[in-house]
Order: sequence, then C-alpha cells, then structure tokens
Amino acid sequence: MNARVLFIAPFLVGLLAGCVTNHQRYGWGTYDPSLYAYYKHPTKEAALAESLEAIISTADSHHAPVPPGIYAEYGYLQLQGGKTLAAVDLFKQEESHWPESKVFMDRMIKVASTPTTTSTTK
Amino acid sequence: MNPLSKILMLGAVLMVAGCAGAPKRYDYANFRTEAPRSILVVPVTNKSVDVNAPDYFLATIATPLAERGYYVFPVNMVKSVLSDDGLSDANLVHAGDPRRLGELFGADAVMYISIERWDAKYVVLSTSVTVELNYVMKSAHTGQELWSNHQRIVYQPQANSGGIAGLIANAVVAAMAKAAPNYMPLAHQANNGAINVKGTGLPAGPYDGLFGKDRSEY
Repeated sequence: MNARVLFIAPFLVGLLAGCVTNHQRYGWGTYDPSLYAYYKHPTKEAALAESLEAIISTADSHHAPVPPGIYAEYGYLQLQGGKTLAAVDLFKQEESHWPESKVFMDRMIKVASTPTTTSTTK
Repeated sequence: MNPLSKILMLGAVLMVAGCAGAPKRYDYANFRTEAPRSILVVPVTNKSVDVNAPDYFLATIATPLAERGYYVFPVNMVKSVLSDDGLSDANLVHAGDPRRLGELFGADAVMYISIERWDAKYVVLSTSVTVELNYVMKSAHTGQELWSNHQRIVYQPQANSGGIAGLIANAVVAAMAKAAPNYMPLAHQANNGAINVKGTGLPAGPYDGLFGKDRSEY
C-alpha cells in the first residue's frame, strides 16, 4: 500500500461511515463468503457447515443472538447428512429463538421425524 | 497499490456513490398497513447470461435484510425445499401466488428479486462490470406489492495516476477482472442502495428499535 492510499483511505472510510446508519446487529462470521463458495463449489458443504456452527458458537459465547435462519440452515445440512436428531434439535432452536419461523420449522421437524423419506413433499 | 488497498478503495468509492442522489420517495401505504415481520426470499430469476448469478446473489441478500431488523427465512434451505417440492425453476416461483408461499412457510412477505444484468464488458484497456437488479416485496397475506426498488451499479476501474502509468494500471485491473470478475462487492452495494436508503429503502423491521417509528423517513 503506498503512502497516498494510506492517506486517502481513512477519509473514504469516514465518508462511508457517514452514510451507513445501522451498526451490525448480529455476528455473521463468514456466512456470506461461505455460502458463495458453496454455490461456486458444491463440494464445500463441510466448510459451509463449519461456518454456520462457528456463527452459533460465537454468538453463544458472547450471549449474543444467533442471526435469523442460521440454526435452520445448519439443521438442514445435518438433515441432508442423515443426522435427523441433530437436525430436529436445530429446527427447534430456530423456532424458539425466532417465533416467525414456527410454521416452517414445525413442517421441517415433521419431515425430519418421518423415518422413511428424506423428501419434504411426502 | 496492493490488492487489499484496491479492494478498500473500490468499496469506499462505491459506498460514497451509493449515498449520492435523492430519488423520489416510495409510497409506503401498503407496507405500513401490513408491517411485515418476516421475509421469505425466494430463488432469484435471471436475465443475464451468467447462469450462476442467482445463486451467487442469494449469498448476499439475507444479511442486509436481517440487519434491517427482519426475520429472514434461511435462504439456502428455502431454495432446497422449494426444489424438493418441484419448484426449482425460479421463474415458476415468481409467477406463483405469494399467498401460497405464505401458507407453506408462514411468512408475512415474499421478496422477489430478478437479475437484469450481471456482466463484464471488456475493452482493450478498461473493463466495466454491471449489476442491475429489481426487488419486489409482496404481501404473503394479500398478494399486493408492499415495496419495490431498482438498482444499477456500474464499476469502471479508474486509473489513479494519469499518462502511461494510468493506462497500464487500468489494463492490469481489466485483466484481473477478465480473469475472474468479482460481482460480490457490486451485489452488496446494490443491496445496500435498495434497502438502506431513506425514503426509498425498507423501513426498520421488528427487531430494530425504530420499528413503526420511522414514518417521517419512510
């Protein structure tokens, strides 16, 4: 980084701060880049799962709220991996933290609890 | 200039650009009547030639909506569940009834986003990258439109020094963009411009202290 950039960057960051009105409400960890990487390379599902787990454990250790949808996304990866008990537990967590998710989570808990099928349509 | 400082500069310049201008205020009458708490973002439709653009974009949208104070349904899970239910075609989902989606997911509102442009144009010594998006939020209870927005973000690298040095810098940036154009900063900027601008963006959601109290601005 040359001296000119070092000089200008704080000024630009200052301008930037002036127009962004809200601070970060949640700790998102590497959610965006991990989901992007997963879409780019679907084999990176384990890395996405790790990222989601890290968001939850970081929030828990700071007694901070886990962002909406994160328990559910993590639970869905567990469900796809055949870990139905873990999936149901995570869907229940999503539901208890975010009452708006109740209809969807109840439906998914039912799906996960039906042993003969992994499809959500049946 | 190293790549990090380049990214910082680009981000800052885009942010500043995003603050400029004062488009006319959106009519929030329907939005205020419903005061949605939860948003279901359905898979994104695509008019660009980049078949991966909708998925890549999907990775950028949950964060700003949740930060605005809404419950956002898990975007990747929703996409997979819809696909399992035979709705892997985003165009079909967009053509369907938002009330039906509302019943399935228990959502208050459905966010329909279409990618109008997602491309890079290469000229010998410079490149421009364009992201253009339409956002429409509909009530999952009545089906009526609650909010909409349109964003067009163009990034054209500018040389920061004139003459031959500037031309070379431009060519280097263009070559980088050609090898792997990174649309993500532009997608983030488009989302920010759509959601977080007073008078045209989304009013504060239920997990924001200003929920229902920002009527003078929205």
